[in-house]
Order: sequence, then C-alpha cells, then structure tokens
Amino acid sequence: MTSPDTATVADLLPDVAALQAGLDAVDYLADEGTATALFCAARLAQPVLIEGEPGVGKTQAATSLAQVLRTPLVRLQCYEGIDVAEALYEWNYPRQLLSIRLAESRGELLEDADVFGEEYLVARPLLTALRHPGPRPAVLLIDEVDRADDDFEAFLLELLADAAVTIPEIGTLRASYPPIAVLTSNRTRELHDALKRRCLFHWIDYPSAQRGAEIIRRRVPGSSRTLAEQVARTVERLRRLDLQKPPGVAEAIDWVAALELLGVRALDAGAIERTLGSALKYVEDQQVAREAGLATLVAG
Amino acid sequence: MPADLASVVGLFGRELHRAGIPVSPSESAQLARVVQVCDPLTVDQLYWCARVSLLRSPDQVPEFNAVFALVFRGLADVAEHRGQEPTALRSESRPPRQAAGEQGSERQPAGPADTRAGPVGEEGAEVEQHALRALASSEERLRHADLGALSDAELAEVAPLLHQLLTTLPTRRTRRRHRHPRGDRLDVRATIRRSIRSGGDPVLAVRRSRRRRPRRLVALLDISGSMEPYARAWLHLLWGAATVARAEVFVFGTRLTRLTPVLRTRSPQQALARAGRAMPDWSGGTRIGHNLKAFMHRYGRSGMAHGAVVLVVSDGWERDDPAVLGAQMEAIARRAHRVVWVNPRVAAPGFSPDTAGMQAVLPFCDDLLSGHSVEALAEVVAALGGDRQVSSRHTGR
Repeated sequence: MTSPDTATVADLLPDVAALQAGLDAVDYLADEGTATALFCAARLAQPVLIEGEPGVGKTQAATSLAQVLRTPLVRLQCYEGIDVAEALYEWNYPRQLLSIRLAESRGELLEDADVFGEEYLVARPLLTALRHPGPRPAVLLIDEVDRADDDFEAFLLELLADAAVTIPEIGTLRASYPPIAVLTSNRTRELHDALKRRCLFHWIDYPSAQRGAEIIRRRVPGSSRTLAEQVARTVERLRRLDLQKPPGVAEAIDWVAALELLGVRALDAGAIERTLGSALKYVEDQQVAREAGLATLVAG
Repeated sequence: MPADLASVVGLFGRELHRAGIPVSPSESAQLARVVQVCDPLTVDQLYWCARVSLLRSPDQVPEFNAVFALVFRGLADVAEHRGQEPTALRSESRPPRQAAGEQGSERQPAGPADTRAGPVGEEGAEVEQHALRALASSEERLRHADLGALSDAELAEVAPLLHQLLTTLPTRRTRRRHRHPRGDRLDVRATIRRSIRSGGDPVLAVRRSRRRRPRRLVALLDISGSMEPYARAWLHLLWGAATVARAEVFVFGTRLTRLTPVLRTRSPQQALARAGRAMPDWSGGTRIGHNLKAFMHRYGRSGMAHGAVVLVVSDGWERDDPAVLGAQMEAIARRAHRVVWVNPRVAAPGFSPDTAGMQAVLPFCDDLLSGHSVEALAEVVAALGGDRQVSSRHTGR
C-alpha cells in the first residue's frame, strides 16, 4: 500500500460510462438503464429501488457496485416481522447483566457509561453501514424489502431520509458517509407510496439472448462460446412458454455450469433432458417443456 | 438550476401527469438533480435519467414512452413554449386517467379490521353482529330479494350494511410479536426495564407471542353479460371489502382489470363511477380460464394468492376450453388458503353444477355458494371467515 485511498465517489465515477466500464471489469454486464440508476444512487446519495423477476441480477448489481467503488457491501436480508433490534442495533443484555452482577458481588460502583459502552452494543447491518468510516460510503443492500411489513418500511423511510440514528443511551449517531442504499423487491406486495417516492426506481428486464450469452461467458469462465449461445437462446425460448417460473439469468448460469461439469460441448435434446432441473424447478414446468419438444427448444 | 432546465422538467412533469402518471414536484426536482449529475448528451441517456427518477412501476412504461417521445423526440418543440403555457401540446386533450392518477392520494378508513389480535376478534364480531341485526330489521322484501333485481336506490340502501359484513376473515400468525401475558417467548428488553422497579432483579417476566393478522382476501368478479344484474350488487360489496378488509379486487370479462386502487375511496358512488370508467369491457363475453391465467401470471405468481382467501364470483359459463379453467383453478387452489366460488345460478330451483365450466372448477373449491340475495351473502361471509378445515380438494393437500 503506497498511498492512502482517498478517492471519493465522484472521482471514481465521473459519468455513467465510467460506471459501466467499471461494472464490466468486475463481470457485471449492465445495460444503460441499470448503470444510470446505480450511478445516480451513488452520486446523489439517494436510495434506489430495483425490481425485476427473480434471478435477473438485482442483488448482483449491488454487489458489483460495491466492488467497483472498493467499499464494503453491507447486506440486510428482510423477512416478515423484522424489527429494529434485528436490523439496527441491540444491547448485549446477557453481558450487561453479568457485568452488573459481577460489580455487585465485588462491591464496585457502576456508572451508566460502563454498562452502555461500545463493547455492549451489537451493531446490526443498518448501524454498521451508517458508521462506516470511509473513505467512501458503504453500499447498503436491503434485500427483498417487500417481505418486510408496513411498520418496518416506515422505520426504514425515516432512517434513509436522515442517515442518522438516535440511540437513547449514547446519543445521535450521524453518518459521516451516508451509505448508498440499494433496495430490491420481488413485487410480492405493493410497497408504500412514501417509500417508492423517496427512491429512484429501476426495473431490470430479462436480457436478450445475445446479452445473456455474454453474461454466461463471464460468469462461467472457461465455458465454450457455442454452449453459452445455445443455452442463452434455449432459455429465451423457454421463457416464451407458459411456465410457472420462467428461468432467469441465475438459472442460465447454473445450467451452463452443470453442462460444463458433465463435459457437454454442444446442447442437444439428450443433454437438456439430463440437466433440465437446473433450469426449471417445477415438475409442471418440466412437463410443459417436454411437451413443447426439447429438440425444438434447442434448434428453434 | 438554469431556467431552461426547470421549465423543461416542469413541462415534462405536467404532460406525464396528464397521461396518468402521477408526478409530484419533489420528483420533478429529483429529475433535475439527476440530469445535473449525469449530464446526458444523447436523447437515450436523457430517457434513462427521466425513467429512473419519475417512473415507479413497470406498468407505466408504455405511457411514459409515449409522453417522452412527444416531448423530447421532436414531435413537439419545447423551445416554442419557453416561458408560456404550452397550449399547443394540450390540443391532444386526453382525459386524465383517474384510475392511475389518484393512486397516491388515497387514504383507507381505519376500519375494524386493524391488526391487533385481541380487539379485532371482539370488535369485528361486534360490528358484524350489529350489521346482521340491522339487516334483520330492514325490509323483508329487500332481505330476500334477488340482488339482481334491486334498483340502484335499493342497492344504495343495502350497501353500507354489506360492507360491514366483511370484518372477520381467517387470520394467520405473523412473525411479528407483541406483548401477551401467556406468550411463549420472553421479552428481554421489557423484562429488564420492568426489573428497575424491583431494584434490578427481574421479578416479573414479560412475555410475547405472535400477532395474528387477517388473511388477504382476493376477489375476482365476472362482469360479463350473463352476470350483469348481479355484478353491480357485488361491486358494492367488494367496494366494502376493498376499503374495510383491504382486499384485492379484480374484474374480468374479456380481460382482467385490477380495480383495487380505484375502489379505495370513501364514497361508494365515486368508487363505482370510477370503476365504470376503468372497466372497458362491462358486459362482454366470458373467458374465465384465460382471465384466471392472466391473474396468475401477473399477480398470483409473485405471491398475491399465497395463503390468501380467494373469492371467485362467476356463473361458470366458460367460452373456451374448460381444461384451461381447471388447470388455473388448480394452480390457485394450491397456493390459496381457501377458495370460495359464488355462482348466483345455484339459487335457481333445480340447479346442478353440470356445465363443463362448473365441473372443471368444483374439485378445487372449498365452498360453492349462491350469493344471490342479501341473506345468501351472510352465508358467503361465513364461508370466507371460516378457518382452515380438512380440505377434500383434489390437490393432495
């Protein structure tokens, strides 16, 4: 390490094209829309809500952004009933009780500050992201925010607006580098209008067959070009069928990895039959695919 | 902010608003900030800047593209209107789509179906008792009359009672916990706080247990020609469901329309007027299977039907292949908590469900009811509120 890393976000991302190039360098192929959304989120310090079908690259976008900015990715996985204690911070009660007891038994006097100090504070993802000391803000990934409920959304809204949190025993902690918040949603329910208005919004679509093939080749290094292209086209055709869960980018990547492992060089009906479970996870979908004819799916 | 940028952004925002995409001043300001930081040099870059800051849902993309093309891709010269009201652009005079436009400004009346475990059971049951008593005391004629035969005025009389009926839906346990004397988990924070009274010794243990929340109600109403007389009455009931029970309401005839945002207003007349405008195919033909497939594809797949109580109001006269209808009902039944089918023909003397459509759906329904009169509605409400029974549906559950 020669000199300390003091580049700011603006230095690393002067324009959208720079971000696209940076993402490309970490093997995330972003189209212009995705790059614009991430760029604005990073430069304007505004949260961005990314929606899209499952397996299309929403979480990966945040991960790759963190890699480009050379800053840690802090991930908060939302689920129903998640509350402040699990998301923001919690006091280590057992430890506090023990030290109180210990002090009592020794006859020592304990001050408030002794029991409410740093070593008793358990920082959860949101607090970790807020307290990140720099040189650049952390990327805070709030994954599947639609699985949390209305109460949590309201709390999140306030936090994102202020980028500060008040812990009664310690005081107000203001983020010196407000984190870049990336929220993802699977649209299982409609998010509150207030949250949606606070965020920038982007919808990631399935990639075209050609783009899909490029993504596969990046993510499965060493895969043959023909195989990647065939799988990408087959997956595109599968999506046109009436499936309960159309295969996304993640499934395509898994599929190619499985085929490579089995030493398949070119896709044919037999190879599909053996590895169909990598792409289609529902028995009914597999039946639909077989009825459509595995050979026609490859040849088109 | 340069004056040009401000006027362009303002103009664009107004045009979007007219096309039915609600744009608030804060979002226009957001667009201006985004444009400043991104510095777009091509129209495509500008398109993405605008989309990222103004659009909130992928359903709005076609309208957005149309307005963007109008304003920025040379169909209208913005420079002509610098500093004045763009009267030329308004010549298109599309009536604002209120269905989308008023989404953001609605409030839901805090009905008895709020989520506190103890009180909602009692309050909900009380209101329901009250509603049933009120029903019992209204004219005999209205009570037993066929809903399809009621006039608008009579319907308006019955409507407020109807909407109170839907206060008890089956509940499910959520992951969120609240204070409860006999809960299964200890609430450490509250216990420690309570122990301050006893000098640091936790004498009283505060417990928590899981909250119960009502299940979601998803209603699919057939508004084709054969259902016409009943559909009006059912819309009233579903208006109540949409506001009080926070139900999702869909109507279908030739295609599926989501009515929930339109119905969530205080006044039933307003809600129905809007619904009338939002439903393009009132009294068309029926393709039930096709519409159920559309529902599953756009909403059911992402989890709306999951664990919900699904209510389908239709006479089951299917134009298309009944096998499709059967397959879709199976998919719904697999995900839903209960499936209740309401068919007004059931009340007709000598009815038996032997049309191909009804035969296809029967194995997947928990209840088949008539719902044709106010009295029958009480049955429907009871069926919706029933908790899970041993299901004999043919899905192997």
